[in-house]
Amino acid sequence: MKVNVLFGIVSFFIPFFNSLDAACQVNNQANVPIKISFINTINSIPVVLDSGNYTNCWNETFNINALKYYISNVQLQTAEKKIAAEKNSYHLINEEDLASKSFSFMASPGTYKTLSFLIGVDSLKNVSGAQTDALDPLNGMFWTWNSGYVMFKLEGHSAGSAVVKNKIEYHIGGFSGANSVLRRVELNIESSAVLLDKNSITEIIVHTDLSKIWNAVHELKISETPICTTPGILAAGIADNYSKAFEILKVIHP
Amino acid sequence: MLKIKIIISLLLIVVMASAFIYNEPPHKLTYLKLFIPRGWPKPTTDIFATNPLTEEGFVLGRKLFYDGRLSKDGNFPCSGCHQQFAAFSTYGHDFSHGFNNNLTKRNAPGLFNLAWQKEMHWDGGVNHLEVQPLAPLTNLNEMAETLPNVLQKLKKDTAYVSLFKAAFKDGVINSQHMLKALAQFTGSIQSYNSRYDKVKRGEDNFTISEKLGYKIFLDKCNTCHKEPLFTDNSFRNNGLIVNSKLPDSGRMSITGNLTDLYKFKVPSLRNCSITIPYMHDGRMFSLSKVIDHYRKGIDTTQATLDTLLKKRLIISEQERIDLLSFLYTLRDEDLLKDTRFAPPNYIQPAAKQEH
Repeated sequence: MKVNVLFGIVSFFIPFFNSLDAACQVNNQANVPIKISFINTINSIPVVLDSGNYTNCWNETFNINALKYYISNVQLQTAEKKIAAEKNSYHLINEEDLASKSFSFMASPGTYKTLSFLIGVDSLKNVSGAQTDALDPLNGMFWTWNSGYVMFKLEGHSAGSAVVKNKIEYHIGGFSGANSVLRRVELNIESSAVLLDKNSITEIIVHTDLSKIWNAVHELKISETPICTTPGILAAGIADNYSKAFEILKVIHP
Repeated sequence: MLKIKIIISLLLIVVMASAFIYNEPPHKLTYLKLFIPRGWPKPTTDIFATNPLTEEGFVLGRKLFYDGRLSKDGNFPCSGCHQQFAAFSTYGHDFSHGFNNNLTKRNAPGLFNLAWQKEMHWDGGVNHLEVQPLAPLTNLNEMAETLPNVLQKLKKDTAYVSLFKAAFKDGVINSQHMLKALAQFTGSIQSYNSRYDKVKRGEDNFTISEKLGYKIFLDKCNTCHKEPLFTDNSFRNNGLIVNSKLPDSGRMSITGNLTDLYKFKVPSLRNCSITIPYMHDGRMFSLSKVIDHYRKGIDTTQATLDTLLKKRLIISEQERIDLLSFLYTLRDEDLLKDTRFAPPNYIQPAAKQEH
């Protein structure tokens, strides 16, 4: 009989023990949100789709009709190499969609010195079958003829382009070997190291200067290479260039 | 008596407390396992590792496979070009028919033992079974539809709403679930019950001609068309004369390597007597012509020609006939007639009765 009573009492309390345990874990971590935002520009002029007219360093004028790229595997690092990595970190930055241009995640409080991310989708996710959310093929960023994600897409027009309708079409993809366009960007958070605490949401604003596409590591002209839609040397070169387009504009502490 | 009362009340508390923990009945799935025939290698990649194979997923995948609404005008389901009676190839067509009187640019391959295939398409451009349907679904000369349109059509159909609910825990109708269900169906189509398999298992015997043919096969064909899958899944140039009207660089269009020019995936020979015609462009309408190609037709001037074919194959007239008899033993009637792979609600015709 006594055993039964004891069993009854213990079973009664088991759910409470469980919830108590869970509450402790959350308290121990006490993660706080950090927000990362992207502002796309050409020579510091914010990109406006369809209407803006821009000029690259070769004096070639152009407009932009579509601009999308993947940012993945985002992480912050302290001077002591402590890493706060975003879980399931895949974001499609789409110039057309304001909400897509910033995202937040939870990180443990600390003084972070660097922000790093991959431009593109890591190779593993390119070979792992059907995905969802940012990686949904519905987003028009997945090649059906040569499996893999388009990591960076820029479409526009330029008088300098001799192809039909003066098109510029950069669909930059390829995730393996020499043809990989995956580039990891590491940005120093210089003047104001990010301090995360419970009462503030820190925001890091990343600025891109997309004029770098035509002149950074390699010199590329719209007139010579207006189209790039397959993995290869040109795509890798364009990726080298746009990987230099990212810098931290500022860090906002509320 | 008091003790009993205490126990009862305590038990009641436990029961009441458990009511708070208990939320909803668990989502029930009937798990299935891919059958691995004895003596076969393990599948190259475990396609069901991140897509658990279930009866519910299979049933949904089968309905999708046979549903014309996956195409723009409703006329082109997956099964239009992948016909069960032809081992899921397009019977008797070099190129398959697509939307708006278009033709495809390559011959539709048979679908079976896909769990053992690392890459799909003649050029290996598709790296995972789950993303394979995206190509025919969106190609303007095939199903010509868009993903958002397809999903919209599925969401409007209450039958699909309940099938997705049964197959996936959250029941969401999205591209990922649709593609995973299709992969559960196509990945389940297996072929391992041909007469060849039965002979191998000691359940049947070859005729003398088949036996001789098997010996020739082992001698001349088995390097590339390696048993038991009858392909080594490699990409090779078998010396077809280049079709100037439909140039196709093959594997090179994916890798960009000149060394891959005119290389195509080695197709499985299983069911080859029913997957007529042959080659990536379906240019050969009989197995005899295929054998003749290897005997006398190979273009030996091509730089990327497979080293095994540089001297062509020496096969005599008698050997050709024996080889053909053997190839016919690779036909798997079970695959062609298995009602599990037939359209949903398919009713098998009653056997003819003599009066």
